[in-house]
Amino acid sequence: MSEIHVPHRHPTLLRLTSAAVRRELLDRVLAPAATPLLLGVFAALAIIGVIGLALRVAGGYENRVAWGYTAALLAWLFMTVHGAPLAAAGLRFVKADWRRPIVRIVELCTVGGLVTFPLFLLLLPTLPPRQGRANIWFDWPGAPGAYEAVAVLFLALTGLAMLALSARPDFAAARDAATGAARRRYAFLAGGWRGTPREWDVLRRGLVLLGALYIFALAFVQFLYPIDFGLSLIPGWISAIFPAFAMLTTLQCAAASTLIALYLWRRFGGLSDYLRLDHFWGLAKILLATSLLWFYFWWADFLTLWYGRKPPELAVLQLLVVGPYFVPFALAFLLSFVVPFGSLIWNRVRISIAGPVVVALSVLLGNFFNTVRIYVAAYSVAGMGGHALEQVPPAHPPDVIDAMIVVGVIGLIALLYTIASRVIPPVSIWEVNEGLMLRRPAHYLKGEYIVVGKPT
Amino acid sequence: MTIRHLLGLYPDAERAANGADALRQAGVPQSSIEVLTDTPYPEGAFGEPPAQHRLFVFPFIGAACGFAVGLLLTAGTQLAYPMPTGGKPILSVPAMIIIMYEGTMLGAIIMTVLGIIFESRLPRARLGTYDPRISEGYVGVLVVDEDPVVGRAEQVFRQSGAEVIREREPED
Repeated sequence: MSEIHVPHRHPTLLRLTSAAVRRELLDRVLAPAATPLLLGVFAALAIIGVIGLALRVAGGYENRVAWGYTAALLAWLFMTVHGAPLAAAGLRFVKADWRRPIVRIVELCTVGGLVTFPLFLLLLPTLPPRQGRANIWFDWPGAPGAYEAVAVLFLALTGLAMLALSARPDFAAARDAATGAARRRYAFLAGGWRGTPREWDVLRRGLVLLGALYIFALAFVQFLYPIDFGLSLIPGWISAIFPAFAMLTTLQCAAASTLIALYLWRRFGGLSDYLRLDHFWGLAKILLATSLLWFYFWWADFLTLWYGRKPPELAVLQLLVVGPYFVPFALAFLLSFVVPFGSLIWNRVRISIAGPVVVALSVLLGNFFNTVRIYVAAYSVAGMGGHALEQVPPAHPPDVIDAMIVVGVIGLIALLYTIASRVIPPVSIWEVNEGLMLRRPAHYLKGEYIVVGKPT
Repeated sequence: MTIRHLLGLYPDAERAANGADALRQAGVPQSSIEVLTDTPYPEGAFGEPPAQHRLFVFPFIGAACGFAVGLLLTAGTQLAYPMPTGGKPILSVPAMIIIMYEGTMLGAIIMTVLGIIFESRLPRARLGTYDPRISEGYVGVLVVDEDPVVGRAEQVFRQSGAEVIREREPED
């Protein structure tokens, strides 16, 4: 009798039936587990955050540096909370089959737009007048506030539209399984979904289109925000690479925050059947590639200023790299590049679940320090005029209100995410079942493989 | 003429595909047949023609309109209030690109969302002929046509293994 050879670390097949998938995932929204402690903790954090923001607003906008950590936090949220849905948009765009169990988990992050947009509006008055300082708007009326606010608003709305469209068939499944008020609620959310070929086609193509537009919108926001709230606030800092660096760090953080979300769902959310090694391994490869690019983009920006050795450019390096913000810079460099590169090149770390998750945590922390060294530094510059930084300001340490805002805003987003995941199944039922329909185990010579059908 | 809605419910996709085939052979026009599923089956799995819609047109129209508005806003303002500066061109193209990009993107987003709403025929007040078992994996084959055609379809449903046959109230 011939021996069957199973290739090492091959993708695994979800060993559940369509009916089991449907039943398990619908139970999560129709009879959600009681989690009063989790919701209570997030709600308490959210209240702390709202109080922190209220205190900050009450303190006024004259002392701009006081808003530095809030600006850094928002930049980080654009990279993480708004970055995570890129995984859904991108993987769906390229028809990656392994995306199926993870897309909804990251799409749920789009509820963060309900927090980032108001936070952005709170930050707008911190911008000094355009006149007398370098900016990309010349003297355009209403700029940058009106144009940037519209861009952030549409980023949030596009994400929510993507979530609502993707969840529509699952709402219909919940409608058909529910009774009473839940049935009426899901009937409204499903919008008369019946599952005709036309509905499916509009859904699939609509998700691809919205995903592409979401990427455009995020790239635009990550072009405007770093320039207006960072680069243009530091006299003498001229960089064409910095906005691209911001987008690159968004891609890196998208992979990292997706990994963290997957781990939390797998470890504490009971989704270990769906979230397997393949997903962590696939994202770890993206994380390794983007970590290498992190260094490349940073180095290209740094080298231009360092090699030129013009006094205004050396002053910028003094502020952002080697001077008062050296510690956040060093931590950013270490955690966003050295740690991921040094660890993910090893197969044993990359092809595991714990390894990529630890590295993802490092990347998220590193990029938070990176936003601190850029935005807090930019907000600590006093004079806006001129073409050079006349005096390098000292480092501005965070105060209690900053800590309240950072922890509280993250808690508020976690609260919204948790509530949303109790209404919308955290795994897309229709996409997983489509995957089950298209995957079959098969033998070839001595090996056992998975054959994946790809509809055109 | 009375239009009837008849739904045949099959426990699996293969029998539903055979049922849909039998309907076509029995002379039921393809335009009267609709397949209802809980999962997106590959196009043509039930012998149906490709779904017809124009969703892709919407973002292009939106993008073109948004670009035009951005161009008019930026170029129009600069031409209406010209500020000659050191012999430079009146139109400052790099600064215009930002607003034109935003206009293009917003137009495309708005029209895509409107396109999805329109092509999904939303809002829909009534669910129409449907059975909740479709969400449990059953495949529904719906025939909407005049009385004699639906009569033939009913016979086909019975012969091809439909587990449930249900009809909506007739409408004139």
